Amino acid sequence: MKMRKFSRWDLQKQEKLTGALFITPTLLCLIAVVLIPLVYSLVISFSDYSFLRPIISEFRGWENFRHAFEDQYFWNSLLVTLKFVVIVVSFEFLIGFAIALLLNREIRFKGVYYAILTIPMVMSPVAVGLIWKMLLHPELGVINWLLSLVGIPPVNWLGTTSGAIWTIVFVDIWHQVSFMILVLLAGLVSLPNEPFQAAKIDGANSLQILFKITIPLMRPVIATALLIRTIMAFRTYDLVYVMTKGGPGVSTDVLSYFIYKKTFMGLDLAQASAISWVLLVIVLLMVLALFKFMRTDEEVA
Amino acid sequence: MNRLVKWSLVLVLVLLLTPTALANVTLRALMEDVPETRIIEQLLPEFERKTGIKVQFEIVQYGDMHAKLVTQFLSPRSQYDIVQVDNYWAGEFPAAGWIEPLDKYVERDKFDLSQYLPSMLEMVGYYQGKLYMIPQYNYAMGLIYRTDLMEDPVLQQKFEATYGRKMELPKTVREYVELCEFMQKNAGVAGSAMQAGRGDPIVMEWSNYLFSNGGAYYDENWRAVVNSPQAIEATELYIRNVKNGAPAGALSYNLDDAYRVMSQGRAFSMISYHWMLPQLNDPANSVVAGKVALTTMPGGKGLNGGWGWAIAHNSQYKEEVWEFIKWVESKEIAIKRAVMGGAPTRYDAFRDPQVLANWPWYAEVEKIAEDAKPVPEFTYSTQMIEVLGRELSLAASGQKTVKAALDEAARALNQLARSAGLQK
Repeated sequence: MKMRKFSRWDLQKQEKLTGALFITPTLLCLIAVVLIPLVYSLVISFSDYSFLRPIISEFRGWENFRHAFEDQYFWNSLLVTLKFVVIVVSFEFLIGFAIALLLNREIRFKGVYYAILTIPMVMSPVAVGLIWKMLLHPELGVINWLLSLVGIPPVNWLGTTSGAIWTIVFVDIWHQVSFMILVLLAGLVSLPNEPFQAAKIDGANSLQILFKITIPLMRPVIATALLIRTIMAFRTYDLVYVMTKGGPGVSTDVLSYFIYKKTFMGLDLAQASAISWVLLVIVLLMVLALFKFMRTDEEVA
Repeated sequence: MNRLVKWSLVLVLVLLLTPTALANVTLRALMEDVPETRIIEQLLPEFERKTGIKVQFEIVQYGDMHAKLVTQFLSPRSQYDIVQVDNYWAGEFPAAGWIEPLDKYVERDKFDLSQYLPSMLEMVGYYQGKLYMIPQYNYAMGLIYRTDLMEDPVLQQKFEATYGRKMELPKTVREYVELCEFMQKNAGVAGSAMQAGRGDPIVMEWSNYLFSNGGAYYDENWRAVVNSPQAIEATELYIRNVKNGAPAGALSYNLDDAYRVMSQGRAFSMISYHWMLPQLNDPANSVVAGKVALTTMPGGKGLNGGWGWAIAHNSQYKEEVWEFIKWVESKEIAIKRAVMGGAPTRYDAFRDPQVLANWPWYAEVEKIAEDAKPVPEFTYSTQMIEVLGRELSLAASGQKTVKAALDEAARALNQLARSAGLQK
């Protein structure tokens, strides 16, 4: 009796040890490539480190953060970024969900649709930006030529302060919506069949099924998809870099591009780190909010 | 016994390979993707035959170069031994100690600097009295225009009726803008294929307007004068041209976008780099081949640009890099490069009969390069361009008034000059 109890305890201990051994290399890697740089950048953000003098000679306290908050262009970039993220993620979600629902039926050529959908996803953002920049060239681009065939006057896609951000939004949606579709579709496919059959027997119409059954059941998947896309959208940099460089004026100057310029043009790594941390905190807060949304959902279920 | 044979064989092999391994130095360089780079790349085997030193070019777009170089300079040993320095960085790199001073090499080997255009040596040679670079290549800017439209009698008549003067090549910035407006209205093409996209495109182009209108970035005491009356006038003319004399998308155009408009015959002129001319005159790439010519920027002072060769401070092959620079900048190779279409920085290359026979307009280029003015070179040149690019783009897109944008630019430029210790 005693013997058995001891051996079980021993087994548990051994299992724990094995688990720890398995996880150690991963943890060490993560500490080396994520935690240490993160902490280091936090330290730098309070210092006077720059590329011209790559040493920390003094700590400035909150000086770098204060400087950022006093910069009107920082606030502009933050606003542009938030606007971009909210618009892009909500549009991608709506379009993605609609297409996922359409694909989640018995239809022919499903394989073909999947193949077409994955193509934009595997393209690099820089290539996407360059291709679209050519297509959207106001004088010589194909898009304006096609529009002219149906009598629409040429559109100045990237050359106006009000329009450029929408062009970037459009290209980003084109590029990233497949991700949304595939994740949501995977969720839809794995839903249990019974509630739907029961609803049909009870005579629910398709709108009722969508809002009362599909969406509630899909909430964890939706939250995950939104979460990942939000984090990715905050980091958008390549499209802006290739297509507008933040212009015209400061109308597409997203925060990650702002940070890039502080780093490699201003050579001021301390300031850039401070702003990166501000961005990180904002993203973290949004992630926490989404996590909370997911949790309450599980409890309800 | 068997073992002994094996080990002695290994030893012999090692001994045989050691000297070749030592002579087998490979120098690496990060180079901009332009015709000049391809020309030099073709000549590299000659250098290898002569010295046994291999040179490898990593060829990338301009926009990627600065960040790549800076990270290499900060590491213990640079991946790039030979450094190609754009004139934007010609203050930053020496000030940060990232490239080697060359005076001692030049003195020791009696390297002849007298053939270089003074404007080039000042721009991509000296920094605060010390030599850090050898001028490689120049890309001064000038006016490229359509000769067929200038010679059109109908347009000439109409111009005279409107402006009360003959239609001639403009002599001031104002005349140029007027001519562009006229062409846009009457010739069915854009007046000027402008590159008013945010960042360096708009700053490059605007600098021509600024310098030719008597303006400058800083005065001799490093006080910013980008909001002087001349600068404000130049900027207003620039924006007027964006509005009335340029294609609709000009505010998002960079160099390539503008070139495409020009090469498709959709514009009368462009303020651009002189090396655009051969591309525009090439029937394979351009529908206006044979109908374009190059001249000095109206007003007389274009923007000078250029590259210089330098040695990375953390290269392990400094002597070999100098060997390479001496070779590539020797009279023989400099002329060979120019004959193949390179953009010279030396008088002997500009005036070589073979060069002039191939590229007759190089006489004009020599004049443009001699008179052109570079952007100020100091620690924060890159940041200066970024600030100016932002403010000019804000003004050109109507988000700010010219005065407000230039005042803000001047404030930022003064701050940069103070940070660099140039302004007391």
